[in-house]
Amino acid sequence: MRLMLRSLLLLLVALAPPPPVRSAPLDGVLEVRSAYINFENGVFALNARIQYPLNDEIRGALLDGVALTFDLEVSITRARRFWWNADVTAVALRRELSYHVVSDRYVVLDVSNGQPQNFSALEDALAYIGTVEAWPVIVEPQLARDRDYEIAVRAGVRRGRMPDPLRSLIFWSDSWHRTSEWYAWSLPR
Amino acid sequence: MVTAALRRVGSYGLVAIGATLGVGALLLLAKSVENSAQFTRWQAWILLVNFLGVLLLGTLLGRKIWQLVRDFRNHVPGSRLTARTVGIFGTLVIVPLLVVYVFSLEFLNRGIDSWFRVEVKQGLGDALALSRSALELRMREQGRRTEDFARSLANVGGIEVLNAIDNERRRTGALEVVVFGRNGEVLAASAAGPEDSLHARPPTELLLQIRENRPYVSLEPIADKGFLISTAAPIPDNARRNGSARFVLALYDVPQQLAALAEAVQNTYSQYGNLSVMRAPVKNAFRATLTLVLLLTMLTAVYLAIFSAQKLTRPVQDLIEGTRAVGKGDFAKRLPLPSRDEMGFLVHSFNDMTKRLRRASEEATRSRQIVEHERERLAVILARLSTGVLTVDALLSVRIANAAAGSILGLDLSGAVGKSLTEMTGENAQLASFVNEVAARLRVGKEEWREQLQLPPDRVLTCACTPLPADADEIGYVLVFDDITTLLQAQRDAAWGEVARRLAHEIKNPLTPIQLSAERMRRKFHAKMNPEDAEILERSTHTIVQQVEAMKQMVNAFSEYARAPEMKLSAVNLNQLVTEVAELYRAQEAGVDIQVDTDPRVETIEADRSRLRQVLNNLITNGIEALSDTPGGRVEVTTRLEHSAQQTCAVISVADNGHGFQGDMLLRVFEPYVTSKPRGTGLGLAIVKKIAEEHGGRIEVENRPEGGARVRVVLPAVARGLTVQPRREMA
Repeated sequence: MRLMLRSLLLLLVALAPPPPVRSAPLDGVLEVRSAYINFENGVFALNARIQYPLNDEIRGALLDGVALTFDLEVSITRARRFWWNADVTAVALRRELSYHVVSDRYVVLDVSNGQPQNFSALEDALAYIGTVEAWPVIVEPQLARDRDYEIAVRAGVRRGRMPDPLRSLIFWSDSWHRTSEWYAWSLPR
Repeated sequence: MVTAALRRVGSYGLVAIGATLGVGALLLLAKSVENSAQFTRWQAWILLVNFLGVLLLGTLLGRKIWQLVRDFRNHVPGSRLTARTVGIFGTLVIVPLLVVYVFSLEFLNRGIDSWFRVEVKQGLGDALALSRSALELRMREQGRRTEDFARSLANVGGIEVLNAIDNERRRTGALEVVVFGRNGEVLAASAAGPEDSLHARPPTELLLQIRENRPYVSLEPIADKGFLISTAAPIPDNARRNGSARFVLALYDVPQQLAALAEAVQNTYSQYGNLSVMRAPVKNAFRATLTLVLLLTMLTAVYLAIFSAQKLTRPVQDLIEGTRAVGKGDFAKRLPLPSRDEMGFLVHSFNDMTKRLRRASEEATRSRQIVEHERERLAVILARLSTGVLTVDALLSVRIANAAAGSILGLDLSGAVGKSLTEMTGENAQLASFVNEVAARLRVGKEEWREQLQLPPDRVLTCACTPLPADADEIGYVLVFDDITTLLQAQRDAAWGEVARRLAHEIKNPLTPIQLSAERMRRKFHAKMNPEDAEILERSTHTIVQQVEAMKQMVNAFSEYARAPEMKLSAVNLNQLVTEVAELYRAQEAGVDIQVDTDPRVETIEADRSRLRQVLNNLITNGIEALSDTPGGRVEVTTRLEHSAQQTCAVISVADNGHGFQGDMLLRVFEPYVTSKPRGTGLGLAIVKKIAEEHGGRIEVENRPEGGARVRVVLPAVARGLTVQPRREMA
């Protein structure tokens, strides 16, 4: 009996998940402050204001050459009554913030078009990243006429540039990764 | 049985669920790796699936370990072997795993640490500082040039400004030189290329600095085009006291080589920074992954070790159970064949052995039954044998004895097995004599013999002794003996019969001529002789004739004894016959009291009437003659019905109150010519005995305790089916 209890205890210890690490480096407000959709010429365009956290750790990491990746995820689903909503589309606006140490500039790179923007102040760079204006997310032909759709927006920030397999490997021990709550509303027609 | 099957199905079900979970986790992982956005969505599921998998594995392992412990405590056959095998397997698997784990961790730590050596970082920092100082030198130089140019424009206005900036641009090789108004409006501009001004609107930062009347220098990175040095300086205006109203902006490029080098340093620094912050998480992730894999592998390995050990020891457990069953005599035990390997061969051999054992056991049982049957048959035969059979050991303790042995030796041997014959002798003189005779022969080492033993008073046994086949530790003898007293008597009787027949023949022949000659002699010479001689002749011839007559009677009696005519059996009322004969003698003999006492139960028997009458005549005559000198003589004639074990008998008893038989006369009274009377032939009782035996009966004689003798003729009282084997003799 004692041997069995000891074995059981050992097993439980072995199976216990590692204690969660508090994400101190990304402390601060991370939320979608406002978001709405403009429908014009058959295109649904997203406008949003996001507040990203800013603290000394982030600043220090940037100065050390670390890049931060900001993702604004948009998910549009078709509402179903007796089942989970059906995915219609899921797009992400990715921006990368890095510090150009030679020129002492914060460079924001829009990953989709490769266009950089230089900022001498970090606040300015973050304000730029947190502003999304008229970003087309879906076009009318993708939507059925007599159905209801939901749109949800979520902002995320994480540290570094690395291949996806490596990221999936460290996801559960990476404290430099945060996402906001989903900000959701019905798609206006 | 059903429970075991359910358990097995349950185990397989758990394994199937575990396998499904594992495959599911892999699929999720594969799918998520393709798209990092999906990864975050699947992350919780992957975690859940993995956790469930580990939990399942843990449950299975826990159950197996619990089974092992329980079996070990209950001393289930094979549990110790299983535990030892599990221990060996577990050690063989876990030790190398742990070694690999420790070395992998060490290698991982060292490997990742080596990527981020201090020297590398220091080198990068130095290179960066060098790049920056080179660029700053150039920036300062350009800035100063722009300031000088701005000062030179202090008193220049109108079209001259345009000329001045154009000249300045050409002289310094600037990309663009622009003069702005206080609010940032372009007053004059000169550009090297056809494209529009890069700085159509000066940045806020620049404007703020100019407003504070300070020069501005900055380095702007341009995507894939190197760097741009942007310099600005206020144009002094002597008319305005509180600052300049105009400022000049000059843009310079950085030499391509310097730009490329600086860009390379920048990229390397950035990459290094990005990687270095990943150092700890990557290390932790690798460690955790390695630990998780180790745990899963170890759990799986231990589970498989237990599973394999149990599978391996299952045939051994079966063999132990089978051996125990065989030990308890269950030869029907068959073990399931586990495989076609050596263990299978062993199990097959065991099954073969139990099959042979079963066959042998059945054979043994059958043989035992046959032996038992034979023993029963032998016992029946022995019981039916009239010959006595006695098996004894060296101390004459009885092993086997049949009923005839007891009957011949005059004791009950039914409970004598194991007892010594010597101890059983007691008052039995015949048994004592028998035991002495046998013991005397065995004592002198005579083991196989066949002799006649004389037992007191007149018994003769023929006895054969044979040693039994020698047992390992016990010597035994079988004694076969028969009472031949009667046989010897019969032989003696037969011999006497022969003598009588010959005597009768030889003696009777000359008697008639002697008698006729004597009578002729008397008739012829009686008249011729003188009275005296005639008197002598008369007396002599009379004596001759009389003696010849007596001899004739004697010879007739002899021939009567020897004669054995056919018996004429008929239904005879014994009581009536006895009464008739007794009445005859009662009428003749006045001096003797003849008493008749008949038993009414005695019914008609089957016998030769005339011979029975002769028996009664002889016996009553004997009785009367024995009372010749006894006053108040009495002859008692009785009939009785007696029951013995074998048959029912009618008994004729004739008793007198005379002197009885003297000495050894009692033993030889039935022999011919044995008589105590002066005139008797000695054939009376011999004839009676012969007739009794011809009727399947016997004769007994004894002296009565109150005086006198008693003769008992015992005849079978069977009304029908009397079987008499009369002795046929030649007359």
